[in-house]
Amino acid sequence: MTVKTLSPERLRQFHDWADEYPNKRSMLMMTLRLVEEEFGCIDADGMQIAADLCGVNVAHVQGMVTFYTHFKRDTHGKHRFMVCATLMCALDGNTDAALKQIEAKLGLKPGQTSADGLFSCEKVECLADCDKPPVVQKDNEHFCKMKGPALDEYIDSLLALEGKTSGQYTAPGAPAPVATDLRIPVLPSYYNFPGETTEGARHFDDKNPYLAPGEGGRTTTVPPALKTPLTAPVAGTAFKTSTNGHDHG
Amino acid sequence: MADANTPAAPEAPAPKPFVPFEPVLTKYLNEPNAYTIEHYLARGGYETARKHVGVTDPATLVATVKDSGLRGRGGAGFPTGMKWGFLAKGTGKPAYLAVNGDESEPGTHKDRHILEKDPHQLLEGVILTCWAIQSNHAFIYLRGEFILGYQRLEAAVKAAKEKGFIGKGVFGTTFDLKVTVVRGAGAYICGEETGMLSSIEGGRGYPKIKPPFPAVSGLFKCPTIVNNVETIANVTHIIKHGADWHKQWGTEKSPGYKIFCLSGAVKKPGVYEVPLGIRMIDFINEYGGGLVEGRTMKAVIPGGLSAPLLTPEMVEKCTLDYESIAGLGSMLGSGGITVLHDGVDMMSAIYNTMRFYHHESCGQCTPCREGTGWLEKLAHKHHAGHAAAGDADLLVDVTKNMRGRTICVLADAAAMPMQSYLQHFRGEFDKRVGEPAHAAKTRSARDEITPAAKRDAALHGAPSVEKVGMGERQ
Repeated sequence: MTVKTLSPERLRQFHDWADEYPNKRSMLMMTLRLVEEEFGCIDADGMQIAADLCGVNVAHVQGMVTFYTHFKRDTHGKHRFMVCATLMCALDGNTDAALKQIEAKLGLKPGQTSADGLFSCEKVECLADCDKPPVVQKDNEHFCKMKGPALDEYIDSLLALEGKTSGQYTAPGAPAPVATDLRIPVLPSYYNFPGETTEGARHFDDKNPYLAPGEGGRTTTVPPALKTPLTAPVAGTAFKTSTNGHDHG
Repeated sequence: MADANTPAAPEAPAPKPFVPFEPVLTKYLNEPNAYTIEHYLARGGYETARKHVGVTDPATLVATVKDSGLRGRGGAGFPTGMKWGFLAKGTGKPAYLAVNGDESEPGTHKDRHILEKDPHQLLEGVILTCWAIQSNHAFIYLRGEFILGYQRLEAAVKAAKEKGFIGKGVFGTTFDLKVTVVRGAGAYICGEETGMLSSIEGGRGYPKIKPPFPAVSGLFKCPTIVNNVETIANVTHIIKHGADWHKQWGTEKSPGYKIFCLSGAVKKPGVYEVPLGIRMIDFINEYGGGLVEGRTMKAVIPGGLSAPLLTPEMVEKCTLDYESIAGLGSMLGSGGITVLHDGVDMMSAIYNTMRFYHHESCGQCTPCREGTGWLEKLAHKHHAGHAAAGDADLLVDVTKNMRGRTICVLADAAAMPMQSYLQHFRGEFDKRVGEPAHAAKTRSARDEITPAAKRDAALHGAPSVEKVGMGERQ
């Protein structure tokens, strides 16, 4: 099994930044961006890497990643649509128009990820281009006046890139999208859910979970599965999430 | 006709007539290569910094900026030179400059253009400011969504480093300067100065309690000056041309020019640089081309989403300077002007606004964390048309209990627009009162007399409504 690491170029970038910041902790924002670039998203391993590099507890990194909404998480789709829903874009139905088009093409409502994990859609707050609504970002691409043919063509180009058709997402019987779950799992990463394999997971030495690698703390061997399972650990099904964290029923 | 001998009643100075203005900050934005260092050098770039860094007494530069009357362009409008003067000296700690490019106030999109299209203009301002406040390290914090802006600014810093304008020995002097670009990740609260500092320090963007102000204890607990991107971009021009040059525009208390962002129901929305003190209606008509066909003006948000609304009558009276807008009970803020037309449903607009603030509250202070949630829920009830009769009064009550009771002004930023909507559009709130079946059912269940109250009623006579409402404590 493999454990993820940053590529040498990105590690060199990290060490170059060390001259620019008074301490390692202050490099965390930019380190998370490195992790995001390297792996395409920030997952549990990425958070651990950032925590190791910046000398902070992984819980602190989790706190950062859940606080800042622009970081891309592993539960977001490969192509992540962010549609500005703040007043200036929402006036005259611009936001709704963009969202409706995305739903018509990809079958996604805001806050959902397609079943194959390729696309996700979410409403976000102001993207600061208020004179050209609606503003849409797709990962690191920024679009103004993104509705009508422009948006349709762009989605079509992404579908073609992935070798998919719109019908695969919208036809009756197409796999239903899932709610994008942005919660941080609270169980230790070495805990095995029933039926889940340990392949690819990151593991800790039970005795010294807080020591840095090289100090003997972390091992890459798979620890034995816990003998007594923790109660009722079901990932991602307990309650639904929405992009603004609450709904009005 | 007034008699010539009658003393004239004291009246406000007449607003300046509309004259076209040649932009200063945004002059080169439409040129395709304006972001490159070659273009900037070709138009005399970095000459001002070369002339002053390591030569001119820093105190002179601070005095020039103070004299120019430049006020912070990020929203609060605090005099820049005065702020620089507050920087704690002789602390034995390094001083920092933190440039705020978070620009997350909805309606504002001016810094984006400077960062993407003319980043060297900002960098020269940074070099001059760092020399003036004797700081060897500047941080420029951009919001995460500015992807192109980040790339262009990083490239600009690299190019300036290669030329020796930044780094060890700026312009061949003994003055060292590091410029670090930090990218945020989508948090409105990082536009608040101390929230931004928390974010640069590698934490959640939680604002810090003031005092101590950043000028005394800011970034890494060292003296720090926090300025907006536009403010810093202004510094170069003021030092180049002098304080009096800057004061030729604007009013006595709001000198200079400013970039305004126009959005909403106008024919030509966009970014326009105008002298302060011109009439708002002129700005909307001359620069924005007037309202879109077939629409009339319902209200104007004058300074970003957090600024209280202006009604059309107020817009007629309003001039674009800090005092005039403050006199009308609103604020110039960051200069994001949004025109709402007569077809806008104000209840949807306020619900959208409150959703924004609830989403962006960092959650440190209870009045804000809970208050923004209350405002959003009550606004949603009005938006959906099933508000209860007292809900508008409850909104007034909640906003009163939010303002001034939190670490930063996000609570005020949420409460102020709500108060202005209530003040100007109370009728629309009242029209949305109505109880659908499920609300009526909940209400009757809640107001039902509890068993304990029934027992008390039997013993002591009927309890008052308040006593029942308070539960079984008595």
